[in-house]
Amino acid sequence: MSGVESLYPFLYSGKSDVEAVLADVCRSTTEKTEEITRLRADVLELYRDQLVACASAMARSFAAGGRLFTFGNGGSSTDAQAIAELFQNPGPAARPLPAAALTTDVAVLSALANDVSFDVVFARPLAANGRVGDIAVGLSTSGGSENVLRGFAEATRRGMLTIGLAGYDGGKMTGADTIEHLFVMPSSSVHRIQEAQTTTYHVLWELTQLALSPT
Amino acid sequence: MMVAVLMGAQVDRAFARRTEPTSALGQDSEAVGRACYDMALRFHRGGRLLCFGNGSAAADAAHIVVEFVHPVIVGKRALPAVSLANDAATMSGIARSGGFEDSFAAQLRLQAAAEDIALGISADGECPNVAGALSVAHDTGLLTVALVGGDGGQIARIAGLDHVLVARSKDPRVVKEVQVTTYHVLWELVHVFFEQPGVLAPRVL
Repeated sequence: MSGVESLYPFLYSGKSDVEAVLADVCRSTTEKTEEITRLRADVLELYRDQLVACASAMARSFAAGGRLFTFGNGGSSTDAQAIAELFQNPGPAARPLPAAALTTDVAVLSALANDVSFDVVFARPLAANGRVGDIAVGLSTSGGSENVLRGFAEATRRGMLTIGLAGYDGGKMTGADTIEHLFVMPSSSVHRIQEAQTTTYHVLWELTQLALSPT
Repeated sequence: MMVAVLMGAQVDRAFARRTEPTSALGQDSEAVGRACYDMALRFHRGGRLLCFGNGSAAADAAHIVVEFVHPVIVGKRALPAVSLANDAATMSGIARSGGFEDSFAAQLRLQAAAEDIALGISADGECPNVAGALSVAHDTGLLTVALVGGDGGQIARIAGLDHVLVARSKDPRVVKEVQVTTYHVLWELVHVFFEQPGVLAPRVL
């Protein structure tokens, strides 16, 4: 009996159960890896040409002095940060590009949420900072986040390039005429959607770098 | 036009680069499952999850925390989790006074209890502040989980870490994607262990 086991014998009361659950979770893990691989293949099939078109537009914007703004809620807010970080700090072999996540400034975010509404937390900073030729990337797994939709509406008013990442059937983002390049991950799993979105923005970054590199 | 052709070929290559490392995660499913079980034991004993990483991995630390604190699936219980990478004032303050290498370890020394879980994320395993915090966590008795990539770097060489899950790619972007799937699975499977009667009972919370 190990030290921990002697301290907490009750935790080990169902050892056979543990092994059975472990076998289940192993199977489940393998299934999830197969699921995301299939989803990525679907995304590639659906959006091969649009990924090239979108990255070309991003490269044109950066080349003309445009800056990237990213936004989303919850897990998508962390993607917004990861995108901004990747473009700004891509490592020695790539070209750093100006980018900022709108989700990191807690003072602005909480001021707007408290004084006005959570619906405006992205639209308002875009109204203040966004310029013609800048880029707005918004993420929402459901496609229905009101503050993300309003962010796109504001970005469009400012003459920015607008790019959306969504899941399921794209929700309201599908119908929105404020999103020039929309990528919908065709899945009903929030987790798989986020994973496919991560691939999508990584590939967009890679293609943008390629488009900006001297040939 | 020429560039567009190049980019078209690059899209296919980029997507193809994900397939093998993702499949390798499936092959490592037992290691993932055992990490989940140990994490479930710690939560069951009242432990908290403390996450940390640099750059994109700092965003992952925040993402992991929101998974546990605010589950996407209705009915799953909230579990205690905190990111040590969110507070720019604390991070830059410690970096200035104690050096960047101490940025997570200093917070752990103050905040961590022996029953907690330390989860460090690094694409190549070469992050001295993540490695330092995992060492402190190990010495303090925390369960230590590392999500790394490449050859695991200096983090994989730390003696005695409980779970080192290596994403099998050298491309930091691909590593991140495998890690996102890994921590989604970690969250989901911790709950599977919670829901199996007899595996963790009786409750001590």
